[in-house]
Amino acid sequence: MPVNPTRRWLFVVASASVVCLALTACGGNGADAGGDTAVTAGTSAAVAPVSNGAAQVRVTATQKNGKDTCLLDHASAATGPVTFTVSNTDSTGITEIELLSDARILGEKENLAPGLAPVTFTATLSGGTYQIYCPGADPETQPFTVTGRAAATPTGSTQVVLADGVTGYAAYVRGVITDMQGAVAQLRTAVDSGDVVASKKAYATLRPYYEKVESDVEGFIEPGADPTKNAGNLDYLVDMRGSNLDPEVGWTGMHAIERDLWQGGAITPQTKKYAADLQTDIGKLTAVARTLTYKPEDLANGAAGLLEEVQSGKITGEEEAFSHLDLVDFSANVEGAQQAFSFLEPGLMTIDPALTAQITAQFTLVRNQLSTYRDASQLGGFKPYTAALRATDAAALSKAVQGLQDPLSRIAEKVATAR
Amino acid sequence: MTEPDPQSPSSTPDNIPAPAGRGVSRRRFFQGAAGGVAVGALGAGGAWAASTTSATPPAAADTDVVDLTRQVAFYDATHQAGIQTRPQRYAVFMTFDMATGTTATDLQTLLARWSAACARLMSRQAIGTVEPSRVDAVAQDSGEASGLEPASLTVTVGLGPGLFDERFGLKSKRPQLLSALPALPSDRLQPELTGGDLSLQACANDPQVAYHAVRNLARMVRGTAQTRWTVLGFGRASAGRGQQTPRNLMGFKDGTRNVSVGGVGDDDEHVWVTDDDWMTGGTYQVARKISMNLEIWDADPVSDQQEIFGRSKLEGAPLSGKDEHDVPDFSAKTASGKLAIGPTSHIALAAHENNNGTKILRRGYNYTDGLNSVGQLDAGLLFLAYMKDPAQFVTLQRKLGRADRLNEYIAHIGSAVFAVPPSPRTGHYLAEGLFT
Repeated sequence: MPVNPTRRWLFVVASASVVCLALTACGGNGADAGGDTAVTAGTSAAVAPVSNGAAQVRVTATQKNGKDTCLLDHASAATGPVTFTVSNTDSTGITEIELLSDARILGEKENLAPGLAPVTFTATLSGGTYQIYCPGADPETQPFTVTGRAAATPTGSTQVVLADGVTGYAAYVRGVITDMQGAVAQLRTAVDSGDVVASKKAYATLRPYYEKVESDVEGFIEPGADPTKNAGNLDYLVDMRGSNLDPEVGWTGMHAIERDLWQGGAITPQTKKYAADLQTDIGKLTAVARTLTYKPEDLANGAAGLLEEVQSGKITGEEEAFSHLDLVDFSANVEGAQQAFSFLEPGLMTIDPALTAQITAQFTLVRNQLSTYRDASQLGGFKPYTAALRATDAAALSKAVQGLQDPLSRIAEKVATAR
Repeated sequence: MTEPDPQSPSSTPDNIPAPAGRGVSRRRFFQGAAGGVAVGALGAGGAWAASTTSATPPAAADTDVVDLTRQVAFYDATHQAGIQTRPQRYAVFMTFDMATGTTATDLQTLLARWSAACARLMSRQAIGTVEPSRVDAVAQDSGEASGLEPASLTVTVGLGPGLFDERFGLKSKRPQLLSALPALPSDRLQPELTGGDLSLQACANDPQVAYHAVRNLARMVRGTAQTRWTVLGFGRASAGRGQQTPRNLMGFKDGTRNVSVGGVGDDDEHVWVTDDDWMTGGTYQVARKISMNLEIWDADPVSDQQEIFGRSKLEGAPLSGKDEHDVPDFSAKTASGKLAIGPTSHIALAAHENNNGTKILRRGYNYTDGLNSVGQLDAGLLFLAYMKDPAQFVTLQRKLGRADRLNEYIAHIGSAVFAVPPSPRTGHYLAEGLFT
């Protein structure tokens, strides 16, 4: 018998209790729901109707009995393009939905909120079982079945693109490391010659190389060293600052040289020892770094980590307390982060174009803001980040970085789950 | 969502009793002795029972009881919460600027996301996952309010005049009376404490609940909106309906004659916008950060302080009368023939009798920022007020700024004005009319 038109709830008898709320596209318009079987097995079996060359599925975030839930009007579609039209009628808890295949994201929509117009995304799906994931909904995950067997989409395409990016990034890191070794050799030569001016210049040249890849070498320790001690922590030995000194180890590395050059204004035998040790330690560090391999999420986390460095060390003026080259470091951190991001960008574009565009725009904002401080006549090419400049400009710089940090912090999860 | 409970006559228009079975008596908190409120005779249930059986405003002693389990409705409430809601103990006020390059769609998304999130926060729900199931995922909600009671949290959203400039193509939607406040006498505004495209006023009886709300709403829109200025109010300084009149940091009662809204015979005509397209049912919010020179004030003889305010200190009675709620008589004279309430006293200048009936709804909070650069107390009043036309505030402050004897001890250092849209219906969002 036909479905009673006044009772407009159709229940799915399937593994997950998918509920079809009677929206206009719901399978109650005779064509989909004719006959007895339509009521019981019908809705889940009712394949989403095709229009505009794609199967049409409505996903509705709503609130039912105090619970947020995602309603699908069809829980299956024929193989090929499927367009999901997502709306939020009155769910305060559901802000995004994703189409997953075994935890890999195939498509998604974010920024859902009650009252906003429906949004759509289309994915080309081959036969198999997928999941509609609505974080915060009850249930969070519902099955979505695609019938037919045409392999409509090359499986793993996004992963392949991401893997290419990762390879590219590894080459970038190796290039920076090679340059860093050249720069530390020059610094040592300058320090050994006793020339303070040349040494300052060499210091300013070396710093950006380290800052570009800092998140990749963070926490490196010498093989066999005690991880709870700083004496064998290469990253620490190279980059320790006055503000994080471990009295057991003493002060060595780049910032000890910075202190001697700017605060002392002289090169002592101790400065020469710092430079020699620095070259040795950077040599050890780069030997390890050369062998690194990366996963896409490492690039994402690394990019976010570099921006954390900006916030915690550069905007505060803590990093270059004597030379005030903080904006040089800042620029290098941002460049390193942007490199990591741009190697992920082609893959990320297929996963979340909106987020990709947002991050790209925020990078542009930060770089534009930073470029207002460029001054070719200054060491490192940027205005010195003095206490006076910090007092007037730190808040605006921090806000710009914050606007980039938040979207950037969300990409690790996306690329880690890409198909 | 908790729905308003029609069975409970103790509900104020937007203050919802906790759902049954929440262990109310255990969680009920009583104001301590410092407030001088006698609660001993009333049982946990009795406090509210007393207010349910009377048509007249309940006694102050009853309503100063804080019940942390109470929630306030966000949707379907005509006016936004946090205005006629009885003032909670704590407030966090923050303003924001829309980021460079943002569009009307960004603003629309912000208002829609904020609306949904406010509804969740006010009903004690996290705005999203605190502990994501996926590795590499960041949390949507920072988590510090998990397990805390709703504490009557209200979040009130305001729209600044800047939203209606050329940036978003919304000029034609500008609320009729919204424009930046004019310069006012005695203003000592610090640019970094003024203005904003958006405001959030979060008030709660648990400070962590209020702070969590603003923190997470700010985080949600980073990149779209940037923080501009903020004030943390640690104690309410204005009385609401039936509340005992609180005191500002000068030790004087504030809000004895505050307007009451939302009840029979109240002063609603001073507060709500009644005929302005999508703003109908809304109001205007004026925020002022007023610093007080407390060290100097404390060295002033109380007799002089009383003349400055026009009221006695402890009782709060007008100097023309005996009791706090005596109507001030601005022509009454002392035995020596002087006016009892001086013409440049605070209450004489602010009284509606002397301002063509002008009234505003004050909802202020005492704030402190610790110590200033010379080691003095850095504190004062976060003045928040609601009115149907910002000109009401301008009228009063022009007069006060010019002549108020209090000006020797205070400085208006922060200022902003916002249009506060009405409460959205379920399934909708704040100021949706801007985009339709």
